[in-house]
Amino acid sequence: MDPEPNGLVDLEKFRAAIRPDTIVASIMMVNNEIGVIQPIAEMGEICRDKGVIFHCDAVQAAGKVEIDLQTLKVDLLTVTAHKVYGPKGIGALYIRRKPRVRIEAQIHGGGHERGMRSGTLPTHQIVGMGEAFRIAKEEMVSENARIRVLRDRLWNGLKDMEEVHLNGDLEHRIPGNLNISFNFVEGESLIMAIKDVAVSSGSACTSASLEPSFVLRALGLSDELAHSSIRMTIGRFSTEEEIDFTIDLLKNKIAKLRELSPLWEMHKEGVDLSTVQWAAH
Amino acid sequence: MAYSEKVIDHYENPRNVGSFSKDDQDVGTGMVGAPACGDVMKLQIKVNDAGIIEDARFKTYGCGSAIASSSLVTEWIKGKTLDQAAGIKNTHIAEELALPPVKIHCSILAEDAIKAAIADYQSKHGQQAAAGAAEAAGDHSTKPRAA
Repeated sequence: MDPEPNGLVDLEKFRAAIRPDTIVASIMMVNNEIGVIQPIAEMGEICRDKGVIFHCDAVQAAGKVEIDLQTLKVDLLTVTAHKVYGPKGIGALYIRRKPRVRIEAQIHGGGHERGMRSGTLPTHQIVGMGEAFRIAKEEMVSENARIRVLRDRLWNGLKDMEEVHLNGDLEHRIPGNLNISFNFVEGESLIMAIKDVAVSSGSACTSASLEPSFVLRALGLSDELAHSSIRMTIGRFSTEEEIDFTIDLLKNKIAKLRELSPLWEMHKEGVDLSTVQWAAH
Repeated sequence: MAYSEKVIDHYENPRNVGSFSKDDQDVGTGMVGAPACGDVMKLQIKVNDAGIIEDARFKTYGCGSAIASSSLVTEWIKGKTLDQAAGIKNTHIAEELALPPVKIHCSILAEDAIKAAIADYQSKHGQQAAAGAAEAAGDHSTKPRAA
């Protein structure tokens, strides 16, 4: 189902989308591109009320938002180690016992994990994941506070630039995410310009399919704003120096790329780009 | 995205960035692409009386390959006649810049931009030539002759 323009799912629309034959509802607790946090607690109540199994993809949420499965009415939850500074190649699926959720094995063989998923368990990966989550639990509150300050510093350094748009709700968002469209500058050219900083873009040019980000399109963003978007995330090892460096670099490079851009030129001349007839290819 | 050295060079040091006045008689302006596609190129040519492109300018909204393709063509078309410039093929551009398959469309757009700029220049001069011929023939009809 489609989200609202701020990226959040409307609870009434969610309730209405559940049909008599609906078996499972599956929601990303936190979206990877725009970092917005869905109202999982309320959705869980709705699903329990309607007898629908509720699955949450918490890959981008674990270690960043509070998840208490004693109170959240979530039946199935997926997490991964590598988003919490753990090793790549291991994740976990939580399956609720009370009330019981029964699932069928998809991978058969030696009967590991009580027949649920066959395949020799990678002990080193499991230990790595466990330790990563243990540290995340200890440090989450203080880390979030530190990261939020850095993220806000970055946003404040950029938001007064002309034609800069934040994608997704700022309040219901994990502390470390920013997704910004710098209008009239294409995303991939900007990534190239700021090569000292690792970021990603919703631009079609960065995808093999040449399609722009479906997440940004679902927010109702125009194609050109989707093409002009940059995702920046801040984490455990980010520093204030890096934030300040990035702000200066972005301002400098955006100015340079806007000088190169015919769309910026037209905007400055007062042309309404939505009225232009493009010689589409 | 692994860029060739030439793409990086054109991107870091783009040639002939800027604009001529669209209304100048000796200027042809081609604007191709669409923001919805993430690629818009504006190419302008300044043509002298001998029909030679003596100067060119570009502005591009698009990825590194798109910027490099349009920068490259401004270099290539200078000193060429309109016919010679119209003969530049996207395959030459793609080869020069070593564009990967997923970026070939950038070179196609650059080829289209050249043709659009030439067409614009010719439409300005086609009308002028027809109007001049019509006056000389004492024909005050406003229908322009085919150029």
